[in-house]
Parts: sequence; C-alpha cells; structure tokens
Amino acid sequence: MTPRAWRAQVLRGLAAPAAAVALSLVAGAVIMALSGVSPAVAYVSLLRGALGSPEAIGRTLQNATPLILTGIAVAFAFRGGLFNIGGDGQFAAGATAAAWAGVTLSLPPVIGPVAVLALGGLAGGLVGALAGALKARFGAHEVVTTIMLNFIVADLSTWLLLHPLSAHSQVPGSDFALPSNRLPMIGGGLAGAHLGLVVALAGAVVASVVLWRTPYGMELRVSGLAPRTARYMGASPTVAAAAALGGGGLFAGLAGAGEVLGTYGHMTVPFVTSLGYLGIGVALLGRNHPVGCVAGGLVLGALSSGGQQMQFDVGISAHLIDVLVGIVLLFVTVQTLRRRTGPRRARAARLAVGGR
Amino acid sequence: MLDLTELIASTLRFAAPLIFAALGGILCERAGVVNIGLEGLMLTGAFFGVLGSYLTGSAWAGLLCAIAAGTALALVHAIMTIRFGADQIISGTALNLIGLGGTSYLLTQVYGNPGSSPQVAGFVSTPVPVLKDIPVLGPALFAQSWFLWGALLCAFAVWWFLNRTVTGLRLRASGEAPKVLEAAGVPVLRLRYGAVAASGALCGVAGAYLSLCLLTAFSENMTAGRGFIALAAVIFGGWNPLRSMVAGLFFGFASALVIRLPQDMVDAQFLNMIPYIATILALVVFGRGVRGPAAAGVPYRPGTGGTAKK
Repeated sequence: MTPRAWRAQVLRGLAAPAAAVALSLVAGAVIMALSGVSPAVAYVSLLRGALGSPEAIGRTLQNATPLILTGIAVAFAFRGGLFNIGGDGQFAAGATAAAWAGVTLSLPPVIGPVAVLALGGLAGGLVGALAGALKARFGAHEVVTTIMLNFIVADLSTWLLLHPLSAHSQVPGSDFALPSNRLPMIGGGLAGAHLGLVVALAGAVVASVVLWRTPYGMELRVSGLAPRTARYMGASPTVAAAAALGGGGLFAGLAGAGEVLGTYGHMTVPFVTSLGYLGIGVALLGRNHPVGCVAGGLVLGALSSGGQQMQFDVGISAHLIDVLVGIVLLFVTVQTLRRRTGPRRARAARLAVGGR
Repeated sequence: MLDLTELIASTLRFAAPLIFAALGGILCERAGVVNIGLEGLMLTGAFFGVLGSYLTGSAWAGLLCAIAAGTALALVHAIMTIRFGADQIISGTALNLIGLGGTSYLLTQVYGNPGSSPQVAGFVSTPVPVLKDIPVLGPALFAQSWFLWGALLCAFAVWWFLNRTVTGLRLRASGEAPKVLEAAGVPVLRLRYGAVAASGALCGVAGAYLSLCLLTAFSENMTAGRGFIALAAVIFGGWNPLRSMVAGLFFGFASALVIRLPQDMVDAQFLNMIPYIATILALVVFGRGVRGPAAAGVPYRPGTGGTAKK
C-alpha cells in the first residue's frame, strides 16, 4: 500500500469513532440543557478536569491505564472472531491474584512487581481460556459463558477477600501489598499516574506484534475471518478459541493486577468496576486494534476524570459519563458495521445465541 | 432452624422479577433479536416506577411509568439493531450502561441525595381470605402480593401465545426462518419491533416489582445483576417460557437460601454463584442441544431474501 493510500485509510478509520464521540457529546449537551445546566460551562469544566493541569493529566492517564488493557482484552479476542464480554471477571481474577501475591511474595524490587503482574495476567488469562475451551469443546457460546464467569469470579473473589485473604481490618479486604511489589508513580506532578501505564503501552505493542507478526497471530486472525480456511490450514479450532479468549483475558488480568499494585495498593470488598464492559467501548473506538485501544482508553479516561471535575464544579452527576459511553457504543457500532456487514459478522452474531 | 414458610415466601419473592424479565428476554430472542440488556431495562423500570409513584402518589401509575420507560429504552435497542443493523450484543451492552448510568444520574438530579430515593407508595400484599390460613403454605403462597401470581400467569400466557396463536407462531418463525416468513407475506421487522418492545415492557414490570413491591424506594444499581440472572434463566430454560419459569423459581430459591440459611452454614458467595454455574453446566451438559433461535442475532433486510450478504 502506498503511504498515501495508507494515510487515507487511517483517516477514514478515525472518522467513525471521532464522529461517534462528537455525537455523544452533543447528546450529553442536550441532557445537560434539559437538566438546567449550561453545556458550555460543563464541558469547559470537563476539559479542565481532563487536561487542564498536570494533576488532571495524571488522573486521565491513571484512568486510561486499565481501560487500555481491558480494551485490548476485547479487541484481541475479537480478532479471533470471539466476543469477550468477560473483561470484568478476568480483571477481578487478575486483581485478586495480585492482592494475594502482592502480600505474599517477597522479592527484590523490579522483579517483585513484574512477577505479581505476571501472576495477575495468568489468572485473567486462565478465566478467559476457560470460556474459550467451553466454547470449542462444548459449543457453549462465549457471550453467555463470559457473562456468567464475570459473576462467578466476582463471588469467588469476594469470598477469598473476606476469608483467606482478609486483612481483618476496618475496611473489608486484603492487606496492602509489600512496598517492593508496588508499581511506582510516574511523578512529575502527574498525580496518580503509575508505571502501569507503561505496562499498558507495552501491552498494546506486544498484542499488535503477536497478532500481525507471528504465525500464532496469523492463525488467530484467520480463525476469526475465515474459520473454514483456518481449519484447512491445520489450525485447531479448540486451540484458537482458547488462545483468543485466553490471550484477551491475560490483558484484562494485567489491568486488574496493575490497579491493585498501582492505584489502590490492595483490594477491597466490594471491588465493583465496570472496566470490563467499558473495555468494549475502548475496543470499538480503537477499531479493534491494540494501538487504537490506547487512543480509545485515553478518550474514555479523559471523559471519566473530566466527569469528576464536572460533578465538582457544576454539580452534574459524573454518571452522565456512563450514559455518554453507552451512546458512543450505539453510534460506533452502527457506523462500523454498516461498512462491514459480511458473512463473518453474520456468523458471529448467529453464534451469539448458541446457534451454528 | 429453617422456617419453611419464610423460605417458600422468599423464593417466590425473588423469583417473580426474574420470571418477568426472563419472559421478556424469551419474546425478544425468539423473534430473532438477542437482548443482553435486560439488566439495564429492569433498572430503568425500577427507577421510573418509583418516579411515577413519587409524582402521583399511586403505585399503579408508577407501574405504568415503569412499563413505558422500559418499552422506550427497548425501542432504542430495536431501532439501532433492526433499522440500522447495529450489533445486538454491543447494543445490549449499551443498554446496560445507559440504564445504570442514566438512573444513577437521574437519581441525583431528581432527588438530590445520591444513593437512594425517598420512600414512595408501593404495592401492598393482598392476602387471599381462607386460603391464607392453611398452615405453612397459606402465609407463603396466599399472603403475598398479586405480583407473584402475575409472574406465574404471565409465564403461562407467554407459552400459550408462542405455541397456540398465529402471531406467536409468526414470532417464532421470525427468529428461526425470517425469509420464509417474509415469503408468506408477514412483515418480519414489525414483528421484531413488537417483540423487543414487549421485552422492555416486561423488564419494566420486573423492575417495578423490585422498587414498588420488594422495596418501596429506588437505590443505585438496585437490580444488582438480577437482569443477568434472568438472562441465565432464559438460557437455562432453553428459551421456553415454562421451563424458564421453573429456572427462575430455582434461582429464586438459591437467593432465598442466602438470607434464610443460618449464616455459618454456607457462605453466601457460593449460593450466589448457583445460577451462573447452573447455566454454564446446562450449556456443557446438554451441549449443542441447548441452542437459541436459529436467526437470532442476525439483522434482517427485507426484500433481499435474508441478511445483507450471504
């Protein structure tokens, strides 16, 4: 592809997500106006909270860190033709593993956080791979199993935090991770931003390289685009499904471990996030490309830190941001799919209820 | 000591909203539109049920508001997926985000204090004379709200509708073989719009049951995953209204055990897992036998003889 054609394709690729975000901001303005708040004032405040100062940028980066990774968790599986709605459960599995290992493993600095992160990624990956294996072996659809696993993992994690991992302190939850296992802050006035961000960026690079520069990634993508061709090539559908969801789960697990080691230091009960579901929005904004997920994560991260500021300044509930993300999802799926309705999409959709 | 009366009563109370929402999910998916947004629809119903009752002082008006709000949000799903061919899973996820974010947003906008709404007029229990005096079963079955009976009746009604009426047959055809249905001159899309709207209405009722009957107030994220348990009941029951009703009762029983079993016997978290594990087991054990409507999830383009491209 000539550089010019490539540039044109990238620009076209950016147009749809940008339009979706713009439309949802317009919808947000309407909601604000109906609530009796000036949208202009509110959006200025949102912008200030997202990018207005080093601390604001720090919080945006902090929010973006897990979102980038849960976005990759969705995008990676999607490239293998599978829907990963299980980001929440994989995230919780990674966080719980890190909550345990962060307290238990006494390792030298640098090695400590790396080892704990690896365990978190492994835990998330195992939860994802379980859904993949159930799909390949029994035909149990991944949309259903990953949703169910979200709740199973959440309950299991709550039980672990209340019993074996409990710190027996005022706040129910685990002990704080050893300082040597914590992820250091980036510093430089960027409040809250920690080295988990570097992990997320590295994750995006690794996911891209794996998907587009390794035989494994090739097999995965062919399995997603043309399952029959993949079988003809000798790829095992079982391995492909487990690898797509397991690989995706690994990134969500890293996100959970990163939050425990970087942002919170420990895990509390209830540990409710919807980062896994928001990851679907990140992946869609990023056009299911790991590098796109970095951009998508930064946009949603900025919206969420800006939303907090907006709540503080003009008294409009930050929950409005969740609504805006929902609207982004609706717009972006319409735009993306209209251009690419084909056998693969139809098939993926048909599988969504357990059909074949 | 386990109080049998209370256990049965709690089972029914927990099962009713699951059954209503599951019936909504069944109608929608049997017509060919996957709906994983039951949770968001229920939450919306719960909020607007309370808002209606708060503004008018009448629980019935609240119920109507809940139905209207559930239907309206479901129609967003319908327009996006049927008219614009949006992905049904993603649109369903959007419903959940909008339902959770939107009700939490409105909660602070309308009532000021985030967390929960003030108490409003709700539905009181309607004991049946004579029958309520039967030992053990009387208070459990006949001293409850009519809502419970509504849920069971509704399950039979939906079964009858799907299996014994022409529209029901067409609705099932719309989910299995929309091409055939269109060839027979039946407007597929209109049926699908109707089914999605009905799912919103039923989820609205389920939500109103939570906020106007179980409690008489709205609190943030009060459905707490019940919409997903209802989705589990849809699948566990194999998209059959009566079997899903039984699944709903079973899952309701699991929830009842959480509050009725002595605290030190089983930890609540393991009982909470039952519906989800049961659903995965059902998919594994019955394997490829448990499957949804053939055309569910596939956007239908009239006049093209099927999906946009084959």
